[in-house]
Amino acid sequence: MGKYLGLFVSEAGDHLQKLADGLVQLEKVTREGGDRSGPVDAMFRHAHSVKGMAAAMQLDTISALAHGVEDLLGGLRKAEGPVDAEVIDALLIATDELQAMVQGAATAPPPAAEARLVARLVQATALVRGAAAVVPPAAPPEPQRQVAQPAAEPAPPVAPARRSLSVEVEIAGSCPVPAVRGFLVLKKLGGLGNVIQSSPTDDDLRAGRIPGKRLRVQMESTETAQGVERALSQISDLAAVTVRAEAELPAAVRREAPAAAVPEGTRTVRVRTELLDYFLDAVGELILATARIREVGRRLAGPQRPALEEGVDRLHAIVKDLHDKVMAVRMTPMALVTDRLPRAARDLARKVGKQIEISIAGAEIELDRAILEELGDPMLHLLRNAVDHGLEQPHLRLLAGKPATGHIAVTARRERDRVILELSDDGKGMDPERLKQAAVARGAITAEQAAALGHREALMLACLPGVSTAQTVTDVSGRGVGMDAVKKVVETVGGTLEIDSAPGAGTRVTLRLPLTVAVQPVLLVQVGEEILGLPMAKVHGAAEVEMARLETSQGGPLLPHAGGHVPVHDLGRLLGFPGLAPRPLRQVLVAEAEGGRIGLAVDALLGQEEAVLKPLNPPLDLVPGLSAVTVLGNGRPVFILDVPRLLAA
Amino acid sequence: MAKRVLVVDDAIFMRNMIKDIFSGGGFVVVGEAANGLEAVEKYKDLKPDLTTMDIVMPFKSGIEATREIVKGDPKAVIVMCSALGQESLVMEAIEAGASDFIVKPFKSEDVLSVVKKVLGDA
Repeated sequence: MGKYLGLFVSEAGDHLQKLADGLVQLEKVTREGGDRSGPVDAMFRHAHSVKGMAAAMQLDTISALAHGVEDLLGGLRKAEGPVDAEVIDALLIATDELQAMVQGAATAPPPAAEARLVARLVQATALVRGAAAVVPPAAPPEPQRQVAQPAAEPAPPVAPARRSLSVEVEIAGSCPVPAVRGFLVLKKLGGLGNVIQSSPTDDDLRAGRIPGKRLRVQMESTETAQGVERALSQISDLAAVTVRAEAELPAAVRREAPAAAVPEGTRTVRVRTELLDYFLDAVGELILATARIREVGRRLAGPQRPALEEGVDRLHAIVKDLHDKVMAVRMTPMALVTDRLPRAARDLARKVGKQIEISIAGAEIELDRAILEELGDPMLHLLRNAVDHGLEQPHLRLLAGKPATGHIAVTARRERDRVILELSDDGKGMDPERLKQAAVARGAITAEQAAALGHREALMLACLPGVSTAQTVTDVSGRGVGMDAVKKVVETVGGTLEIDSAPGAGTRVTLRLPLTVAVQPVLLVQVGEEILGLPMAKVHGAAEVEMARLETSQGGPLLPHAGGHVPVHDLGRLLGFPGLAPRPLRQVLVAEAEGGRIGLAVDALLGQEEAVLKPLNPPLDLVPGLSAVTVLGNGRPVFILDVPRLLAA
Repeated sequence: MAKRVLVVDDAIFMRNMIKDIFSGGGFVVVGEAANGLEAVEKYKDLKPDLTTMDIVMPFKSGIEATREIVKGDPKAVIVMCSALGQESLVMEAIEAGASDFIVKPFKSEDVLSVVKKVLGDA
C-alpha cells in the first residue's frame, strides 16, 4: 500500500485543489446569479474521487470526511434557491482540512477530523436538504415517484446502501437531435441518483457532442437496475438501453470504470518529477557526449572519418529528438500556478475587507514544470501585493469613480520562445517619486541617482530589498521583502520582471519566462586564457571600445549606452584573474546587474551557444558570481556567470 | 379514461394541428394557452395529464412556464415542442423540468408515440 501513497497524495491533492476552485466559482455564481449545476457537479465528482481513493488506501478518516463533503454537495445538487453562506464556509473549511489530512498522510495516517467540523457538515447538509424539501408540491407525490427523491433527512455520516450502476444508452439513428436526447437521459438519471461520471459529459452534450450517438453513465442510486431501465423506457428515440448493477467492488477497482470511459489514446501515467529531472539530466549528458565524440572525430584521419561522422550525425539527430520529447513531457499548463490564485484572492480579500474579482486567461499555456514550480510563491506574492496595496477599499474606489469591486487579471501568452505572464490590477498604482524617496531614505541609492532615474527604472526600485511604500505593514504583505525575492526567483529560472504603473491607474507586473530552464542561450566570451559564459537574457548589447577614449567618473570608465552612461568593469579583474597587460581595444558587453546595467570588458566574443546548464556542486555553488556550468563540445567546462550578482563577487 | 391534454402555443394554426393529432389519437384536449402566463394559469385550473409547450412565446417563455408549473407540481408531464436549432433552449427546458420534447416538423404518429411513452402507456 505504501508505494501508492505518493501517488495518492498527489492525485487526491489535485482533486481537492479542483474542489476548492469549484467553491470559489460557486460563491461567484451564488453572488452574481447563474447556473450552479456545473461547478456543483464537478465538485461532487472530486469529493467522490477523494472518498474512493482514501477508502482504497484504508485512510478511513479522510474517506469519512470526504463522504461528508460529498453528501453535502449531493444535497446541493438537488436543492433550489440561493446557497447559504454557511454551506460554502463549511465546504471550504472541510476542503482545507481534507487537503491537510491528505498531505499529512504522506508521513502518518491522519487522525479523524474534528467532531465539530463533521457536525457542521451534517448541519449544512440538513440545511440544504431542508431547502430541497420545501419546494411545495401542489399534490402529494405518488409513492413510486418519491423513490427518485433522496430521503430529506440529515445524512448519517455513514454511506447509505447505494448501488453502483453502469448505464449505456444508444440513441436512435432517426433522432434529429441526439445530443438533446442524451441530455434528457442524463438529467433523468440525475433524478434517480447521483451521476458519478458520464461520457460524453454534460458539457459535451450541451455543445451538441455525442460521438456514436452513445451515452455511458456511471451512477450511484438506491434504485435497482430494473427500476432505472423502467424509468428510461419512458424516453423516446432510444435504440438500446443497458443498465448493469455492478457488484459492490472495492473502491480502488471501481475507480477503473471512469478511466475506461476516457476515449482511447488519452491514457495517462503519473511520473514523479524527479524522474523527469533525471531524464533531462541524462539527455543533457548525451548531448555533451555526442559533441565530444564529434570533436574527437574531427581529429581522426583516414577512411574511418566519414563513417564516424555519419554515425555521430545520426546519434545527434536521435538525441535531439529525445531531448525535444523529454522537454515536451516536462511541459505543464500554467494552470498549475494560476489555479490556486482565485481561492487565494478570495481569502486575502476577505481578510482585508476588499471586494475583488480575478480573471485568468491563458491557463492552458505550457511551460517547463521546473519553472512553474518556482513561480508558485512569487505569483502568490504578486497577488498579495495587488490585493493588499494595489486595490483600494470599496468606498475609496467609488470616490475615485471606479467600480467598488477591484479587478485583478492574470494573463499568460506565448511570444516566440518566451511565455509572458502578467498580473495586473486596477488599483491605485505606484508612485515613482515615493519609491525614489523610500530608496534614498533606505540608503539604497543616492539622491542624484534617484533624480536620474526614468519612470520605469524608478518603479523597479520596488524590487530593491527593503524598499516598500506601503504605509502600513499588514499581515498580508508590505514587509518590503517581497518584490526583491520575486525578482530573484524569476531571474533564477532565466526570466525577467518589469513593472508598469501610474498613480490611480493600477499596476502591471510582467514576467518574461523561458519555456525551459535547462537549455539556455549563452554568450561565450574570452578573458585572458579563460572562456566564460553569460546568459543571453542578461546581455543587452556589445561594442568594440578603445578604452583610453572613454570618459571616466570616480576613477572608472563610462560607456555611452541608450542615452546614458554605464560604468565599465574589467571582467577579469572582477573575477580575480591574475593581472594582464591592459589591451587598448576591448569588447564591452552591456549586461543587467543588480541595481542597473553595467559594462563588462572582455578580450573577445566567441559566439552564442545553446548550453545545457548544470547546477554547481558544492563547494563551487558557494563561489559568488558563478551560477552554473556547461561543457563545450571539446570537453572543456565553462562557468556561467551570475551576472546580476557579479559586482557583489 | 382518455388522458387530458393542455396545448400551449402562440400560433393558432399550430394549436389546431396539435389538437387534431391528439383528438385522432384518443386524447381529450381540455384547454389551450397562447403564452406562458396563460399556460401557468390554465395548468392550475385544469390539472391536465399532459401539456405540450411551445418554447418561444410572448409574455412568458415556455421554459419559464415549465419551471413554474413543475415547481408547483413536480409530477407535471410537459413535452416541449421545438424546432431544429433550438437545442440549447430544449436543454434549458429539460433542466427546468420538461419530461420530453418533439422536434418540428412533426408527424402525428411520432407525437403520439412520444407522449404515450412519457405517460407510461406504451
